[in-house]
Amino acid sequence: MIGYVCKYTPVEVIEAFGEEPVRLDPAGKSYESAEALFHSNMCSFAKGILENILENNVEEVVLTSCCDSIKRLYDLLKGRVKFAYLLDLPRKENPMAADLYRREIADFISTYGVFKKRDFDEGKLSKILDEKCAKGKRRSSAGVALMGARLSKDMVEKIENSCAAGVINFTCTGEERDFDIEVKSDLLRGYAKALLELTPCMRMARNRENLLPRNLKGIIYNTIKFCDFYSYEYALLRAKADIPILKIETDYTDSGSGQILTRVDAFMESTGIKKIEETKTKKGYFAGIDSGSTSTNAVIIDENKNLIAYATIPTGPKAIESAREVFERVLKNAGLKKEDISATVATGYGRVSIPFADMTVTEITCHGKGAFFLDGTVRTIVDIGGQDSKVIRLDDSGNVVDFAMNDKCSAGTGRFLEVMARSLGVPIDEMAKVTEKAKEDITITSMCTVFAESEVISLIAQNKDRRDIIHALNKAVASKAVSLVDRVGRKGRYMMTGGVAKNLGVVRAIESKLGEKLIIPFDPQITGALGAALIALEGKSG
Amino acid sequence: MDPVRFYSSIIKRNIKRPEKVEKLIVRGLSIAQLYVSLFKDKRLPESLQYLNAFCIKSVRDSLAEPQNSAWVNIFSPTEFLIALGVKPLFTEAYSSFMSGFFIEDDLIDAAEARGISNTLCSYHKTFIGAGELGILKKPRFLITTSTACDANIPTFRYLSNKFGAPLCIIDVPYKYSKEAVEYVKKQLLDLVKVLEEVFKRKPDIDKLREIVRTENRTRALMKEYLNYVGQKSFIPTMTFEMYMLFASHVFIGTGEVLNFYQKLLRDIRNAPEKRGKSVFFVHLPPLFEKNFKEYFNFSEKYHIAASDINYDFLEEIDERDPFGGIAEKLILSSFNGGIDRRASRIRELVEKIKPDGIIQFCHLGCKQTIGGTFVIKNLAAEMGIPFLYLDGDCVDKRNNQEGQNRTRLEAFLEML
Ligand code: SF4
Ligand code: SF4
Ligand code: SF4
Repeated sequence: MIGYVCKYTPVEVIEAFGEEPVRLDPAGKSYESAEALFHSNMCSFAKGILENILENNVEEVVLTSCCDSIKRLYDLLKGRVKFAYLLDLPRKENPMAADLYRREIADFISTYGVFKKRDFDEGKLSKILDEKCAKGKRRSSAGVALMGARLSKDMVEKIENSCAAGVINFTCTGEERDFDIEVKSDLLRGYAKALLELTPCMRMARNRENLLPRNLKGIIYNTIKFCDFYSYEYALLRAKADIPILKIETDYTDSGSGQILTRVDAFMESTGIKKIEETKTKKGYFAGIDSGSTSTNAVIIDENKNLIAYATIPTGPKAIESAREVFERVLKNAGLKKEDISATVATGYGRVSIPFADMTVTEITCHGKGAFFLDGTVRTIVDIGGQDSKVIRLDDSGNVVDFAMNDKCSAGTGRFLEVMARSLGVPIDEMAKVTEKAKEDITITSMCTVFAESEVISLIAQNKDRRDIIHALNKAVASKAVSLVDRVGRKGRYMMTGGVAKNLGVVRAIESKLGEKLIIPFDPQITGALGAALIALEGKSG
Repeated sequence: MDPVRFYSSIIKRNIKRPEKVEKLIVRGLSIAQLYVSLFKDKRLPESLQYLNAFCIKSVRDSLAEPQNSAWVNIFSPTEFLIALGVKPLFTEAYSSFMSGFFIEDDLIDAAEARGISNTLCSYHKTFIGAGELGILKKPRFLITTSTACDANIPTFRYLSNKFGAPLCIIDVPYKYSKEAVEYVKKQLLDLVKVLEEVFKRKPDIDKLREIVRTENRTRALMKEYLNYVGQKSFIPTMTFEMYMLFASHVFIGTGEVLNFYQKLLRDIRNAPEKRGKSVFFVHLPPLFEKNFKEYFNFSEKYHIAASDINYDFLEEIDERDPFGGIAEKLILSSFNGGIDRRASRIRELVEKIKPDGIIQFCHLGCKQTIGGTFVIKNLAAEMGIPFLYLDGDCVDKRNNQEGQNRTRLEAFLEML
């Protein structure tokens, strides 16, 4: 077995040697072994590959001169594994580049032949190439394009499964290897040329502007920290394309995959290409349950969309029990029994673990639905909850067209404020009342909860007025929220939801940054559940 | 408030008005240029005063005359631009100057708001941000090489697209071979054709030969200079290490740079014998990092020996075949290819200069350098020289954990 990562690798040459080429995927839940050899600020793909090689004792690796991370990976592997090889891959596609790559492939063949003590049979290569070519092209009609950095196999499958239309994969892993080599007199030259003619990846000099098929419904753009190739194309597409784009960021460990799938699902829902089982609209009462990380909320409406009752409880250690409890409570508030409810939709991060729901829908779609129902002038929803925050953009008909979520950390959420309240020794309710500075305008520079906390502690030590510190914290949360707003672009009117919407200090700080008043619903915590109930009534999420 | 900070606050106040900011920057550079020529800093030897004025002027000129300027990266073959009288502006210089004006944060934020990755090297983010805000005016042309890092091609492609200005990408192979030289040479020949179309001027081959000759003479002086570095205390501030990039790369081949090295050689011969300890930098020192400024700028105790980026190529270019010769230079740079190439150049330099310690400042996002950290660390250990690596940012001051770095830097310096 010989490991490789790049689609320009002469995989068929390896096969002709009678060896098995295996595309390496990043491995491991952490990069512990890799980071002992590699600076931690290298891209996580390269770290994950290194981890895989170390963990599984991969003995033979062939790389290309793809990027700085892979080049340095090669520097590390040399002398550490039995066979490490780097092919110098040109970025251009012209006759001289083909000559150059031909030479590289020929050098690889002789080096590998010596290492394996085996001769290379060009006839075999020719046969393998013919066989692959005969299989022909398999093109699916494209609904969604996967672009940017490669995604794990698992993730690609999950995306394909939740999409009703075809998925076309433009990342490094998507291509069919069905080369049609015209000139057989110099097979290696023809092969090198065919490889260079593959759809250009971001690393190549060729333009990718005309890559996208028409009638595309959406683009899922994957980026990765410390990789320089992808964000540019994303920025260009975002500025130019009229197709909805979802940007995700992976680090190839499993940690964030749940959240990413939520966002992918929400994206599919908003672009109308989510696979859903249709449920028929029934008469009666409809319930929505929002199982959030800090609170669990439930709403019941009737068939005419009248709000019958709602309930909110803090989420306990088990999401399902809290869901049961809030459901019982809302039934009680409504004076109804379980049997009176025609359909229930669950949303929120705990949605999948609610067995009595008829359907689950992401909180993004539900929030959009609920907010637009409450006020049809809303175009942007700023939702700050206990442990996450998000901004959702609606079009004039109330459909979700874009959204941004805060990634995996508590910066700028309710949790952030709680930690700070504790450091300040001030109850959170007191904090919520501070809407203006008292003496001086302080700015907290760190957004990270840990660093901000030490900043607060040093401000206390400097004897600063607590109200000024609180004001500074509110501003910090507001600026985090507004930077999320800027990611989807500003557009009024704004509605703020989530637990933090009850905090007047933060509300005022956001208003002053946006230069516009926020709409605060009568109970900002139930918007998601209300949306879920509306979806239960309509029987679909779109 | 010091005058630079004051000036910076005026620029910051206008940041949403690109025309104004652009004028303020050009005017600021004109004032600085005038200032350094009128009020000579007595602490600086003549050569460095000369370099100071030259660098400020070259950035100013390219900004003031965008229709006669081209944006390039450090390793771009600027010989062809010089032959045509076109003024190059390079990413690292522009971004360092903007950090000098204290406005890099606004520019970086502007780039990130458009979707540019926040982990991208800040030299590039600052440059892109200035483009996004319209503070940089459309240049006539852009050239980038694929060395030394991944950021070059995408940044230049992005900006070329944004401004609608033509771009030439020079793909430099990782390995050296005859085919590789031919491949690059062909690209250089094509480059000249495009330049001719764009600037409606034809670079003359004799002129090009003359530039290469000057470049070779300059490199000879550079090598001679290196003979003295180990014995003298010379480079007074980190800023000059950055300025050296103008002389060792983008403007090498000009009469001014030759002139500078002649003066430099004279000055270092007359410089005081080495006092205190000297530190060799892998890549570049962080000009704006507080602790480093405190310890290295105008310091008697610690001084900067050299940075390897200024000596990535020390060979002669074939004057008879300037295209092939420049192609060879691009491929053979120690910043191209495997880390072993870089390490052996560092070894040569260290053996010659004999610094007391080596510091690698791991500039955030610069994977081509930080990916080799442990290789350089082993090299230093093998050579018996103390080595320190610190994480931070050479441009974006917000990314420097100054408190944490201080202890480590001080402990290291105490070790020397
Ligand atoms: S980005 Fe391009 S060169 Fe790099 S691994 Fe992917 S396909 Fe290969
Ligand atoms: S993710 Fe980017 S930086 Fe990392 S190995 Fe792939 S191309 Fe290179
Ligand atoms: S610091 Fe590194 S990443 Fe940034 S421009 Fe220089 S070589 Fe490229």
